[in-house]
Amino acid sequence: MLAIDHVSKSFGATRAVDDVSLTIERGEVVGLVGENGAGKTTLMRIVAGELTADSGTITARTGEGAGAPLRIGFVHQHFMLVSDFTIAENLALATGARPRDAEAIIERSGIELRDVNRRARDLAVGEKSKLELIKAIARKPELLILDEPTSVLTPYESDELFRVMRRIASEGTAIVFISHKVREVVEVATRVAVMRRGRVVVESSKMNAEELATAMVESPRGDFGRSVESRTGEIVAIVGVAGNGQRELADQLLREHPRTRLGFIPEDRTRDGLVAEMTIAENVALIADDWRAATRHTPALIEQYAIRAEGASQLAGALSGGNQQKVILAREIDRAPELIVAAEPTRGLDIEATRFVHEQLRRAANRGAKIMLITSDLDEAFDLADTIQVIYRGKLSERMTPGDASSRVAALMAGVA
Amino acid sequence: MKRALAAVAASIALLWIVGITSGHPDLLRILASGSIGSTFAIEGTLLKSVPLLLTGLAVVVAFRAGVWNIGGEGQFIAGALAAFIAAPLGVVIAILASMLAGALWASIASLMRVWRNAPEVLTTILLNFIGIELLGYCVNGPLQEEGGRYPESDTVAASLPQLGVLHAGIALAVIAAIAAWWLIYRTKEGLRLRATGFNPSAAHYAGISVNAQIARAMAISGGVAGLAGGIELLGVTHRLFERFAAGYGYSGIAVALLAQLHPLATIAAAAFFGALVTGAGELQRAANISSSVATFGQAIVILLLIMRRKTT
Repeated sequence: MLAIDHVSKSFGATRAVDDVSLTIERGEVVGLVGENGAGKTTLMRIVAGELTADSGTITARTGEGAGAPLRIGFVHQHFMLVSDFTIAENLALATGARPRDAEAIIERSGIELRDVNRRARDLAVGEKSKLELIKAIARKPELLILDEPTSVLTPYESDELFRVMRRIASEGTAIVFISHKVREVVEVATRVAVMRRGRVVVESSKMNAEELATAMVESPRGDFGRSVESRTGEIVAIVGVAGNGQRELADQLLREHPRTRLGFIPEDRTRDGLVAEMTIAENVALIADDWRAATRHTPALIEQYAIRAEGASQLAGALSGGNQQKVILAREIDRAPELIVAAEPTRGLDIEATRFVHEQLRRAANRGAKIMLITSDLDEAFDLADTIQVIYRGKLSERMTPGDASSRVAALMAGVA
Repeated sequence: MKRALAAVAASIALLWIVGITSGHPDLLRILASGSIGSTFAIEGTLLKSVPLLLTGLAVVVAFRAGVWNIGGEGQFIAGALAAFIAAPLGVVIAILASMLAGALWASIASLMRVWRNAPEVLTTILLNFIGIELLGYCVNGPLQEEGGRYPESDTVAASLPQLGVLHAGIALAVIAAIAAWWLIYRTKEGLRLRATGFNPSAAHYAGISVNAQIARAMAISGGVAGLAGGIELLGVTHRLFERFAAGYGYSGIAVALLAQLHPLATIAAAAFFGALVTGAGELQRAANISSSVATFGQAIVILLLIMRRKTT
């Protein structure tokens, strides 16, 4: 019935609505949730025509043929009542009906509001809110937008509102229910769209309160649900489909440990690992406390790690991928750090180089290092790890032995366990 | 190295062609005699080379760290202004003040970069405009000469030790070049600075604070450009005037590019451009050829250099 297509809107430098696409069908109650300032109200004001989008389109298909504008009722968070008018007069003003029909209108709406001759200014906030709702419903909108309607209602009044919402939805009206109260949204909405910083980040028709609450707030960095710990000499493999928080996990481990005591093998070795324009020796010296000693030691490393290079002063960028990885490995492991974080350490390497990397990691573990192996290669994980944890949507599973993990990993990685 | 020499050779060839086609077949000869043909000419070349060497070094240090300091002009002016104000306290204090002022002026840009990610290419250029206007205000206002007639200052209260027209700033500039080379190639911080310039991401994951490197490189860069302004004031002009900076800050970029960002090669590059500028002055006097030929030669060198730079 209504299609929002790639709509964006900025106020100054702030992107209030950022490339949002969303469809709303007849009879639906769409819960639009998000923290304050997530862009919910702005998006709906664009839908209602109160604001113009910077880009994107909004297409409405009404029941009254092409060209006819969609009838939209918008109950704003702040009241739009004439204070000195009575309830009846306010209703008459909004609907075009006569004041004496007010009681009939209220009764049809199914909302309780007594004594239509009271002035709007004398009403309690809950009653004002109800009056706004009655105004909107009376115009028989095809789309009803309610912006935080329950914020001034008592729980009993809220329940009354939800009953009304369900009824008019069943009569074919689409409702957008803007709220930041998770419980209410779960109770009344048939579909939920979560906004965060101007974007719709999740859209789902079946979400429980907990999932909704997590989706609303940006997952705080470093909160992976479980701690990552590995014991001395243990290889813990963190497995998961790429993009489920592996990078954030590695970054967190880097922040938590002084770089001199941590060996780090980054996932993207050309971008994050080596400086291609500098020599092998300079790359080795880069993380050393004593850079002169590290420079002198480099030829020995080249020998020991069987790096195929012309010498310590060859540019790192001139090496093959496998040999670049060996330089990183030599640099990071040779210092005997307490913890080694290895992210996809064998990606793109041939069999021989892979075997070499695995052997070095095992050796480091035998020597007493804790190894955190972040990998999407299950063979690698089962080959090396003493313990396996799955990372899915930024959350870590419990620790499993490879034996237990073999039957569960696939489901955990897909998020269906 | 080869590339730089080829660019220089090509620009000389082009200048020769320009000379032939415009009816001045002896253009190159006048250029040479005007820049290195006599003691007087060589002295002129040396004097011109000093500010070019320093502003060139300033650019080298910043570019090496991956920061595009285009603000040499403003930092040069800040250095000269500070040297002028501090000169009554002696020439050493004046020199130190010029470095400090240049460093602070440049740090405005690096702080904006580090805190608000404001691109330093823009902020340093904008700070140039502010510096130029500030100098203009000073020489028409608080620092104007006693008579109040000309837009220039009185003679500065101190000056560098002189040897004829030459001054001690030449030694300072060469020492600065060697010190910059030492910093960049022979210290741990230089290693980190270069790593930051080449690949900030890898530097970050090697435990280097990229922001600290940027801030430090900018401060050093600005300090060297400020020193250039201080030396020019205390050794050559002895007074401030509106067009004091004379484009040295921008020419420093050309010098640094010709030197391929190597501090020691910067000495040679500065000498070449210094000779070009000085020789062009002679062209103007002896053959009535516009001295903008020097700018032309400079531009040709840089164009040839960046055209040959492969994008990787």
